[in-house]
Amino acid sequence: MFLSVWMVYPTVRTVLRSLYSDKGDRFVWLSNYKRLFTSDTLFTAIKNNALWVLIIPAAVTAVGLVFAVLVERVRWAVAFKVAVFMPLAISLFAVGVIWRIMYQQDPDRGAINAALAGARGFVSHDGVLSRARPSSDALEGSTKRGFTLKQPVRAGGVAVLGLTAIRTPEIPEDAADAVRPEPLQGGIAGVVWRDFKAGGGTPGRVERGELGIPGATVELRNADGKKVDSTETKPDGTFAFDKVADGQYRVSVGSGTFAEPFRGVNWLGDRLITPAIMFAYIWVTAGFAMVIIGAGLASIPRDVLEAARTDGASEWQTFRRVTVPLLAPVLTVVFVTQIIGVLKIFDLVLAIAPGSSTDDAATLAYVMWQRSFSGQNLFGLGAAISTFLLVLFIPFLIINVKRFRAEARG
Amino acid sequence: MAGVTFEHVSKIYLDGTRAVSGVNLDIADGEFMVFVGPSGCGKSTALRMVAGLEEISEGVLRIGDRVVNHVAPRDRDIAMVFQSYALYPHLSVYENIAFSLRLKKVPKAEVDRRVHEAARVLGLEDYLKRKPRALSGGQRQRVAMGRAIVRQPQAFLMDEPLSNLDAKLRVQTRAEIARLQDELGVTTIYVTHDQVEAMTMGDRVAVMRRGELQQVASPQELYDHPVNLFVGGFIGSPSMNLLEATLERANGSLAVALGSQRITLPEDALALRPALRRYEGRQVVLGIRPEDLEDASLRTDSPTDARLKGRLELVEALGSELVVHFAVDAKPAVTDEVRELAQDAGSTTVGRELTGSGATLVGRFDPHSRVHEGDEPEVFVDARELHFFDTETGLGIYDDDTKATKGAGS
Repeated sequence: MFLSVWMVYPTVRTVLRSLYSDKGDRFVWLSNYKRLFTSDTLFTAIKNNALWVLIIPAAVTAVGLVFAVLVERVRWAVAFKVAVFMPLAISLFAVGVIWRIMYQQDPDRGAINAALAGARGFVSHDGVLSRARPSSDALEGSTKRGFTLKQPVRAGGVAVLGLTAIRTPEIPEDAADAVRPEPLQGGIAGVVWRDFKAGGGTPGRVERGELGIPGATVELRNADGKKVDSTETKPDGTFAFDKVADGQYRVSVGSGTFAEPFRGVNWLGDRLITPAIMFAYIWVTAGFAMVIIGAGLASIPRDVLEAARTDGASEWQTFRRVTVPLLAPVLTVVFVTQIIGVLKIFDLVLAIAPGSSTDDAATLAYVMWQRSFSGQNLFGLGAAISTFLLVLFIPFLIINVKRFRAEARG
Repeated sequence: MAGVTFEHVSKIYLDGTRAVSGVNLDIADGEFMVFVGPSGCGKSTALRMVAGLEEISEGVLRIGDRVVNHVAPRDRDIAMVFQSYALYPHLSVYENIAFSLRLKKVPKAEVDRRVHEAARVLGLEDYLKRKPRALSGGQRQRVAMGRAIVRQPQAFLMDEPLSNLDAKLRVQTRAEIARLQDELGVTTIYVTHDQVEAMTMGDRVAVMRRGELQQVASPQELYDHPVNLFVGGFIGSPSMNLLEATLERANGSLAVALGSQRITLPEDALALRPALRRYEGRQVVLGIRPEDLEDASLRTDSPTDARLKGRLELVEALGSELVVHFAVDAKPAVTDEVRELAQDAGSTTVGRELTGSGATLVGRFDPHSRVHEGDEPEVFVDARELHFFDTETGLGIYDDDTKATKGAGS
């Protein structure tokens, strides 16, 4: 009775409604469905839904399996389980809000980009300068390749590398007046400085009042162009390579000096928005999958795994040839549940995607809501989308029902 | 094929429990060795250490000449048969048997030949395509055996492989396994708590108690010369009667006083156990095998100074023999060992006998005896076959002390 009031009637009514015009006053046959399959946004939504169904159930099942297996072997297993399971306790919409904030592009605001910036800091340093030009034609190159002194240098020589067109705020605070260093016996000395002086000066010459550039990377290459040494400049811009073998060398200000600072990945932009939402979804659902699969794992008799090991199977072979096949029923449950869960994905899309990329993130359920209830009032089209979704659900519902029946029979 | 050597092997759990303690044992190539003992005596743990499923805490374990303490189960070249059979439920009988060969990447034709050969030996040819769940207990057991023999391993390890079978099938399979082992000549370690299995199958039997080896000997030797009270009480069915007794000198010869009754020891019994003389006037534990008791009316020639009087409480006619339970005026021996044995047998008689006045002896009478319950016949005791144990140490009293301690830990 309740089932018919709350399930059957709305279903039938929606299917019928999809055959009427948006205002509901005209019977239009299948023209709503024609709109459904011809509109660009809707096409994107169908494509996105397909992506979700193809990727997420498999990914969630795989991640859940990995976690379930790992949890059996780590210390603090309970803490780990709680941590993975916790997101499930948060409303999906709140999850969306959390991730939207974490996905902010500016590393100072979005946690993910901040983490990426931090991780990048370990691998490569930001350069001291973002742009510069050679102050004279003694140098060649660009900020991308670094600036190289055209004239080769030998041991005992002095390399003078003047740069200009540097914005004043970019000069490090510890910079001191540039000094032309004394030649070094058996080595190469030199200076990197800002060859610019208010009121003019002579390009290519170190003059009073011009600042050294500290922290610039200086590279030494031999005649074959092979890098033999590199160093960083001192506050007054000077540097020195103490011991240099005979031969001609080229000195350059390395491109590392000009590396641009990290600006953050645009997670919420049109290209990455769907993967970003998917990731948040996996974060939520992995705990569910882990718990279900973990229960399945616990029910595998230990003897059988031990038998496989004494039969000569490695841990991986035991996992692949015994554990996974025995888990197959549980994995199927998780997989099918996820397909159904993913087909109707809506709240995460609404919460995470900013206005500019909703069209790229849209899924069918989202577009249905958007067309019908967000003020567009295209009820006929909305009903058509709902009906289309219903048709997509049916095979999985049948699979599920069949499986339950099979299980009931034993 | 290879022998298996234990050198001071111990298993100590994290909480300090010693499941197996200082086991020294040399199992010859091709030998059928049975580990037997009450539950919790460490026999399964010892076996699992050979399999590599249980870490070895102390000592050295060798298979052949190779120390295998830290060798993974898969590299030990042993085959194990589990109590639960541990068949792979998702694989057919054929694939179950072929599993280890597939892992070793044996050519298909060879796999096929060996699986069919094993199936033929075990009478499984008609079931190769079935899943384990469609097999009876006996058939599953044989699949487990098939999985072991198809590998042609260095050693078979069997962990109570028959305990899930019904009694009739167990006797039949017992014989099959013994025959199979004889034909293949593979070193076998067989764990059981059933002393009948131990006696009938083993070339040698190792009796364990609380993680320690008590005695390792051929079944007959164990039966005739148990090294201590525990082995004496454990081996034999129905088990040995154990009573408190005092050695007294009467009429110039040594006699055993049981309550008010007396059994004179003939000279040849003393000759077998010279050490008994030193126990004159002291208390000992007397052991009487049921078959050494007989209805005196059937043995009219028996000496009158080797008879006990008792009241028959229960007579079980088995056709080939009568098993009689009769109460005599004597105290049952109650030591740790006896309690443990009684517990293992699931019996509470020790408790009952403690409160009662007398002890109940079990005897096996000739079926021609016409005794009935309630009778008070004279019972002849074969005094030459009596067993004596030290009350304090529980050790058997034989020709001298050095021999009495032999066996434990050899």
